[in-house]
Amino acid sequence: MKRMGIQKHYYLMLLPGMVWLVMFSIVPMFGAVMAFQNYNPGQGIFHSEWVGLANFKYMFQLNDSKSVIFNTFIIAVGKMVFNLLIPLIFAILLNELTNLRYKKLVQTFVYLPHFLSWVIMATIVIGIFGYYGVTNTVVQTFGGQPKLFMADAGIFRQLIIGTDVWKEFGYNAIIFLAALTSVNLNLYEAAAIDGANRWQMIWNITLPALSTTVVLLGVLSLGNVLNAGFDQVYNLYNPLVYSTGDILDTWVYRLGLQNLQFSLATAAGLFKSVISFVLILISYRLAYRFADYTVF
Amino acid sequence: MAFSKFPQPVDVHIGMVVDPTDKTLPKGDSVSNNQYTRYVKEKYNINIIVDWTAATGNDYKQKVSLSIASGNLPDGMVVDDRSFMTKAASSGLLYDITDLFQQYQSSQVKDIMASTQGRALENASYKGKMVSLPNITVDTDGVHIMWVRKDWLDKLKLPVPKTLGDIEKTAKAFIDNKMGGPKTIGIAGPSKNTFPYATFLNSSNNMGGFDPIFGANDAYPGYWVDNGDGTVTYGTITDNTKKTLALLADWYKKGLIDPEVGTRDNVGDPINANQTGIFFGPWWNGGYGNGDSFKNDPTANWHAYPVYTTDGKWNSHMKTTGSTYTLISKKAKPDVVKAILIMNNALVRDEATFDLSVAVGWYPLRNVMAAANETEYEYTELLKVLKGETKPEDYNKPNSLYKLMYSDAKKVQTVIKAPYDNLNVSNFDMKNFGDFQRMYSLMIGDAPFSTIPIDKKVYSVTYNQTPTMETKWANLKKMEDETVLKIILGQASIDSFDKFVKDWKSQGGDEITAEVAGLLKK
Repeated sequence: MKRMGIQKHYYLMLLPGMVWLVMFSIVPMFGAVMAFQNYNPGQGIFHSEWVGLANFKYMFQLNDSKSVIFNTFIIAVGKMVFNLLIPLIFAILLNELTNLRYKKLVQTFVYLPHFLSWVIMATIVIGIFGYYGVTNTVVQTFGGQPKLFMADAGIFRQLIIGTDVWKEFGYNAIIFLAALTSVNLNLYEAAAIDGANRWQMIWNITLPALSTTVVLLGVLSLGNVLNAGFDQVYNLYNPLVYSTGDILDTWVYRLGLQNLQFSLATAAGLFKSVISFVLILISYRLAYRFADYTVF
Repeated sequence: MAFSKFPQPVDVHIGMVVDPTDKTLPKGDSVSNNQYTRYVKEKYNINIIVDWTAATGNDYKQKVSLSIASGNLPDGMVVDDRSFMTKAASSGLLYDITDLFQQYQSSQVKDIMASTQGRALENASYKGKMVSLPNITVDTDGVHIMWVRKDWLDKLKLPVPKTLGDIEKTAKAFIDNKMGGPKTIGIAGPSKNTFPYATFLNSSNNMGGFDPIFGANDAYPGYWVDNGDGTVTYGTITDNTKKTLALLADWYKKGLIDPEVGTRDNVGDPINANQTGIFFGPWWNGGYGNGDSFKNDPTANWHAYPVYTTDGKWNSHMKTTGSTYTLISKKAKPDVVKAILIMNNALVRDEATFDLSVAVGWYPLRNVMAAANETEYEYTELLKVLKGETKPEDYNKPNSLYKLMYSDAKKVQTVIKAPYDNLNVSNFDMKNFGDFQRMYSLMIGDAPFSTIPIDKKVYSVTYNQTPTMETKWANLKKMEDETVLKIILGQASIDSFDKFVKDWKSQGGDEITAEVAGLLKK
């Protein structure tokens, strides 16, 4: 208790965050009970008819549910891998630059897109890949046929993953750059004396130094394996790419808010949460084992 | 009672849709304090309290959906989808206004309701009780016609296209001659938020759809068609629909249809940019619907015509009476319900007298009621005024069923110049652009429906969801949207249509068809 007294102001600073957490994350959890009911807004969550697992059974009967889960998984895993790999490569390349001013300039520019919302980014993406967009103009200059990229289900996932990496890689590289500053410069000097070239130094010094960070970030992102990015997909998709682009979150949105199937939407949302919860547990175990990382 | 003033102020809490692009509200005024709220306060002692606002479109839908899901409705709100009304009603959230409406409706409202032969009342009711105020819109909102650039036709010395074959040739000629610049679009199509055809749930105002093309092939996709022998067919799964899709796919392949169809943000863009030669939609799409096209090119001579079958017939699917509803919360006090009914009467009576430089959308709980044939009536009568056969004062009849007639009759001569026999854009004065848009839509856009009889009118057996649809329709509709668009864009072959029909039937379509057929027996 005495310690608590000393740290009172810290707890005070924690308070707004805790209130936020209770209001927006803990309280709504009770609403999950709707997944087991035939929810009737007039009767509320306390008096609606109890239907057990009927909503889940129906959900898995729908053709959509399988493709939606599959899409979510592919897109999310793609984002996880490339959001780790590309920033890593970028950070190493940037680290090799000797012109400090140029380095800072590049760093600033590449992380700018991170601060734009997907509503704005979607317009830019369409400006690039739309029928009259930059890409098609270039294709046509070289005598090719313009293509309707945004309506092509075959490349929609790649487009989603690619644009997300483009938006985030600058920002994601910050952690790697921070880790790189802590590498002992003596190691490079020693290597130089031993006659190692830049490539060998990267391979033998830089990469091993970053390995803990890579493992940690990789493992922690496992909890996001079913978060394929509602904002992004919602702003970019259209009925032509539902087959490859529809993800759990957009599906839940359409079921719940557009088709008023509240219980079915809750069931789908809860299903996602349960899977994510298991993955977070696993990732926490792995993080502890491989990176010696603990929260509690 | 229909226009009585409350002795004590009555507070009415509302949820309100706002148009974020609106610039007509004077400085200092707000959603809860403007000329319309002051009017209802002054005349009827009603205080409007706006609980929440949301932008038109998906934002507003989402807000409505959330307020229904939480069982927490404001006293009044206007929703634009019948499923919101039925969901709220089946959850017991709505006030039963059956008796109060009978007592408080004005004679005008009564006449307008009667002009639908009971269809409006049925539309606003759930299980025999009146639980919402319906909007009643003109029938012509559901009659989709062809809009074509007459000035382009004249330049190329082409006749007005009548059949599908003509349309194909015309679109090709527009593109070949680059009438709208290098990016000329022969035929505009739906955006990513609109649909290739109107459906039984959204049976009107489908700007940029292909409805008349389907009609010219005797196909009525999205409609429950009565076969006349006690059975019902869903129009999308017929051979005629398949045939039309094959034709559209062929046109798309030939580059006659907007290459960005189905992915554009906004249907109106290529039309307003004057890149487009032909598009389809109801009477108001030219004038009201494409104002910027005229601003960009005052000589854009848009004209409206039906599309005919090869043997010269005009087929059209027809709309339901209306598709927006004023919902009144079950928790509202009787005085509040009365206030909402009075506000509706007042809007119907006084809309034509308001100073419309402030958009009438700011009127609290505005839900339009108009006689089903108002537009055709106005077309005929305005032509008489122009030709001097009648005088504007002849229409000065308070409480008329045709509430806008008198004010339009006074305006028409300043907007339209002689000669009156063959109206073109050059006959119109655009100085008061709002008046121009209305007159253009009325006199050009509604000319086909006012003067040419439709050979085959097709009504849907139902315009509402059946019980099985509540769970299964979303899935079937998604399948339909995907298949149709993919076929048109050539991403799926026309043969995939047969598989779609099979899947559609087995995944609940047959069950729903039987339910709809059951409605016929009633």
